[in-house]
Amino acid sequence: MRFDVRRAALTLAAPLLAIIFAVLVTSLVLAVAGDPVGEVWSTIFSKPKPRNIVNIINSGSVLYLSALAVAVGFRMNLFNIGVDGQYRLAAFVAAYVAGEAWLPGKLNVVFSIVVAIAVGAIWAGIAGLLRVTRGVSEVISTIMLNSIATYLVAYLLRQVSAKGTNNIHTNDIPVSSQLAGFKIVPDAPIAVYTLSLLAVVAAVFYWLLLNRTVFGFNLRATGQSESAAVASGVNVKKMIIVSMLISGGIAGLIGMPLLFGDSYNYGLTFQTGLGFAGIAVALLGRNNPIGIAFAALLFAFLNEQSNALQLTAGVSNDIVNIMQGVIVLSVVVAYEVVRRYNNAAEQRRVAAQLESTRQPEEVAA
Amino acid sequence: MSDTSDAQDTAVRLTDIGKRFPGVIANDQVNVTVRHGTVHALVGENGAGKSTLMKILYGVQKPDSGTIEVDGRQVSFSSPADAIAAGIGMVFQHFMLADNLTVLENVVLGAEKLYGSGDRARRRIHELATSYGFDLDPDRLVEDLGVGDRQRVEILKVLYRGARTIILDEPTAVLVPQEVDELFENLRGLKAEGLTVLFISHKLDEVLAVADDVTVIRRGRTVTTVDPKQTTARQLAELMVGSELPSPSTETSTVTDVVALSVRDLSMFDPQGGRDLLTDVSFDIRRGEVVGVAGVEGNGQAELVEAIMGMRKVQGTIALGDEDVANWSTARRRESGIGYIPEDRHRHGLLLDAPLWENRMLGHQTREPNRKGPFIDRGGARADTERIVEAYDVRTPSIDTTARALSGGNQQKLIVGREMSSEPLLLIASHPTRGVDVGAQAAIWDHIKTARREGLAVLLISADLDELIGLSDTIHVMLRGRLVGTVDPQTVTPEQLGSAMTGAEVPA
Amino acid sequence: MRRSTKFAAVLTAGILSVALTACGGGSDNKNSANDTGSSGGKSDIKVGMAYDIGGRGDQSFNDMAAAGLDKAKSEFGIKTSESEATPDEAESAKEDRLIQLADAGYNPVIAVGFAYSEAVGKVAKQYPDVKFAIIDDTANTDKNVTNLVFAEEQGSFLVGAAAALKSKAGHIGFVGGVNTPLINKFEAGYDAGAKAVNPSIKIESAYLTQPPDFTGFNDPGKGKTAAEGQFDAGADVVYHAAGGSGLGVFQAAKAAKGLAIGVDSDQYLTASADLQPFILTSMIKHVDVAVYNFIKSVKDGDPLTGTVTFDLKAGGVDFSTSGGQVDDIKSKLDDFKKQIIDGTIKVPTTVK
Repeated sequence: MRFDVRRAALTLAAPLLAIIFAVLVTSLVLAVAGDPVGEVWSTIFSKPKPRNIVNIINSGSVLYLSALAVAVGFRMNLFNIGVDGQYRLAAFVAAYVAGEAWLPGKLNVVFSIVVAIAVGAIWAGIAGLLRVTRGVSEVISTIMLNSIATYLVAYLLRQVSAKGTNNIHTNDIPVSSQLAGFKIVPDAPIAVYTLSLLAVVAAVFYWLLLNRTVFGFNLRATGQSESAAVASGVNVKKMIIVSMLISGGIAGLIGMPLLFGDSYNYGLTFQTGLGFAGIAVALLGRNNPIGIAFAALLFAFLNEQSNALQLTAGVSNDIVNIMQGVIVLSVVVAYEVVRRYNNAAEQRRVAAQLESTRQPEEVAA
Repeated sequence: MSDTSDAQDTAVRLTDIGKRFPGVIANDQVNVTVRHGTVHALVGENGAGKSTLMKILYGVQKPDSGTIEVDGRQVSFSSPADAIAAGIGMVFQHFMLADNLTVLENVVLGAEKLYGSGDRARRRIHELATSYGFDLDPDRLVEDLGVGDRQRVEILKVLYRGARTIILDEPTAVLVPQEVDELFENLRGLKAEGLTVLFISHKLDEVLAVADDVTVIRRGRTVTTVDPKQTTARQLAELMVGSELPSPSTETSTVTDVVALSVRDLSMFDPQGGRDLLTDVSFDIRRGEVVGVAGVEGNGQAELVEAIMGMRKVQGTIALGDEDVANWSTARRRESGIGYIPEDRHRHGLLLDAPLWENRMLGHQTREPNRKGPFIDRGGARADTERIVEAYDVRTPSIDTTARALSGGNQQKLIVGREMSSEPLLLIASHPTRGVDVGAQAAIWDHIKTARREGLAVLLISADLDELIGLSDTIHVMLRGRLVGTVDPQTVTPEQLGSAMTGAEVPA
Repeated sequence: MRRSTKFAAVLTAGILSVALTACGGGSDNKNSANDTGSSGGKSDIKVGMAYDIGGRGDQSFNDMAAAGLDKAKSEFGIKTSESEATPDEAESAKEDRLIQLADAGYNPVIAVGFAYSEAVGKVAKQYPDVKFAIIDDTANTDKNVTNLVFAEEQGSFLVGAAAALKSKAGHIGFVGGVNTPLINKFEAGYDAGAKAVNPSIKIESAYLTQPPDFTGFNDPGKGKTAAEGQFDAGADVVYHAAGGSGLGVFQAAKAAKGLAIGVDSDQYLTASADLQPFILTSMIKHVDVAVYNFIKSVKDGDPLTGTVTFDLKAGGVDFSTSGGQVDDIKSKLDDFKKQIIDGTIKVPTTVK
């Protein structure tokens, strides 16, 4: 049971089947719309060029951070829909701080990352506080906080940006604080973000925290059964606040690889929507740090490979959103089916095993 | 005896019924013959196959093998509708009534074809109610009815649909003793009118009181059918478990002078603004003492337990040993020696989808052997889970099995083992053997008694009056949030206790 | 996990509905992408076009750029390829789009909208032999990048003056799509024009969304609500610089029996007949002309370079007269126009 091959196979089968199902549904949509089905798949499943591989790794790592932030909440049944606002606000403040360059070189980077974590955590913490003190559903409050973050960043950005350009942004980060990245993909003209490493660090942190600490046990217990957690002595209010802080802190990291590896400032064109993509990735990855890694890479792969669709197949790359949506929906259904199957199978196995041990007793009776 | 009766006499005959679920044999060669105009009881441990058998008879499930005869004709039901058409009705343990409708509307709902929904229906209901001695006002809202009346509405529903054979699934589980008596009165009324009742239960005294025949099921098979007049509850129980039984009664008193828990003037207000949930509750539990709290459910027992556990806000003092713990968190109270067997193990005692070893940590995650600094001590927790599984006879293939996969009795044994493992000063046992098979029940009683001998103080809440009387050194009666009296378990009978719970005078 | 199951269903339904509607719009490009124009003359230049979100068919800014491309295509017989941005895409996706066009031999490559500012900057350095043009942005100074910008404030000044002249209440309104410096320019010119006519005029102002939420350019519902609010407050002429959301402004004008002013193209011509009586004029921003002129200059071997500003003088911005509602004040407007062109009036570009 510690490593049950059949169980593992089933767990893997669910997402694979979901992907196949999604390909079929998407093909159907394409066919109905009269779009060239074959060309779409040959574009998406073509061998990515070196630069595309780098892009996949980069955006995969960013999606990974986002999904991890969401997953922390999910594990205790908290729905932090506000990851999007948290990372945008955090990225803006960090970009401003980094652009002001109060500290030299790499210290500036470290300081800005700490600031980003703090800002993300505080912003998410507001939702936690509202939930605990006022009973406001975190779903509602984080959605509102997203909106407030949008207004706040838009306002602050106008205050701190240079006038006279249409694409306003914070000051560029000094060159000494820009991170060149890793040229690990041969022949690629671009590099993997240095701060993609944050995804690895966050993954280890997440795994250790949830699976090896008492705090993580309390968090998972609360997620599985709040009533049982309360009876076991878990202070659920405290857990809500702390998990929102952790979730927001990880959310604060999302923008960092982009900020220090690519854009070097926060402006109107800084990538948006990563927080929402993270929700889908976390669901697909089942809140498991390895599962999320695969899910993030899959989403990044689909996004990257779909870029060429308009040029090669004349199909909008929105088709990939449909595919991603179908994957998430069908995988959630598949996981639920597998979960029930496994529960039933386990109950049968337990019953069967006990039956066999009872047999001698039966004879005696 | 009934096996030899001829077809005229027989209302229902089940022959060689078999039903397998993958990996589990629920029914195997089940043979039951139910005579016309009798109350026939079906007894067995939880999981013995009673419910499956009744579902087969009511058309919810199809048997893999065997035959069903109703009034001498062989039948095959593919749905409850078929069963109803053949005159078989079932009253489930959980009522299926619409609270915001009247008795009449509930009875007629879904059976409008029979007598319409107007005067004809009303006349029919009146007829039924009077002929079977049901005292029900057809125009009252169901939400205003007590549990016993609701059950009568359920029975009326079945009768209204023309049932001649009525299956009752654990009908007394939700009733207090007085209501049980009323129910039995009703059953005798049905019997007198020539109806047949199939009565599922594991409360053996009740079975013996009301049944004409008793069929015992064990592990999916019918063991025997006995005549209740010539059988004792103990014999029945032994037939159910297949071995000899211990009884709950305590031996010599082990009560000491050392007060373990002292509760003073506990009051709890209803956040919804209703009547106070607890009012001025005061009592002591000394080391080596089992203090029972008797009361009809919903009279404040659950609130009392949650107050002592620190799960709900309360006024008053709670002293554990010498320390006032009233302002302590649940975790701190647990750490200072309160063990807790919750009333609803699924809601409060277990993480159903977590493995057993993680469940062993629940409520003890802040203590050894489960913890090393901020980290979980997996090795320690796992080893100790193995120990509990062994010592408490938790039947499981492995400690990695999820709690959900275990039977209720084994889940409960794990909980008891867990709560005992930290050598608590005080154990709060809320319905510790509810929904647990007889074997596990005996084991749990044994563990409580052993711990009591070693100086454990126990607060016992139970709806099982035999358990309460058998285990307790003192019994407090709780009514509407107050302790209204104290009885001596040595002298009180379940009937007296039952009266006291409903507010009648407490025997001295 | 159960709760998340429910949640996933809702989430996915959301994703799908967004994607499906987007796809409905997006499927338009399949007709145009990969098209090899054959009408008109023959030219072997291949023009790559990267639109902003919404792309061809957005009834607004992108459509104007497409119109310029179409005109060039029919006149010069050039080959074209088009691709559009999707919401929430990575910066690398914008770069990729430009790189794919450049790799496929498209030269020049035109990026529509300042969202491409950084992408053009990066890709232009990688492809020094490809000519890039970017609309509405001046950030890039590379030799092979041409910045095509407009004096939106000048055109807006004129429609602001028209609004003030037509307002009986001395109370007008402005609805901006997204609160960006670009749209602020429209507002600044509009305010200045109105105040030039009536210094004590009351001006309502509203932006539909804040960046990075750019849905304000494509949400007629929001446009309608905002304009209704301004009409209710007493304004009787409302100018919108809100792209596709402008339809809602027109509908609000009709309901309030007020007047609305269109933007980018002569919206009187494309509006439905029931809305036409309520469209006073439009501030025309000739993105089509800019695109066409740029392509023509490349074809002619003398490409426009540096920053090219399409102002009143160059005919890059103007007010429209279709419908005849400004006929009576046209001379006054033309007078303002002359003063702006000759520098007598300096139109501000930022709102105070």
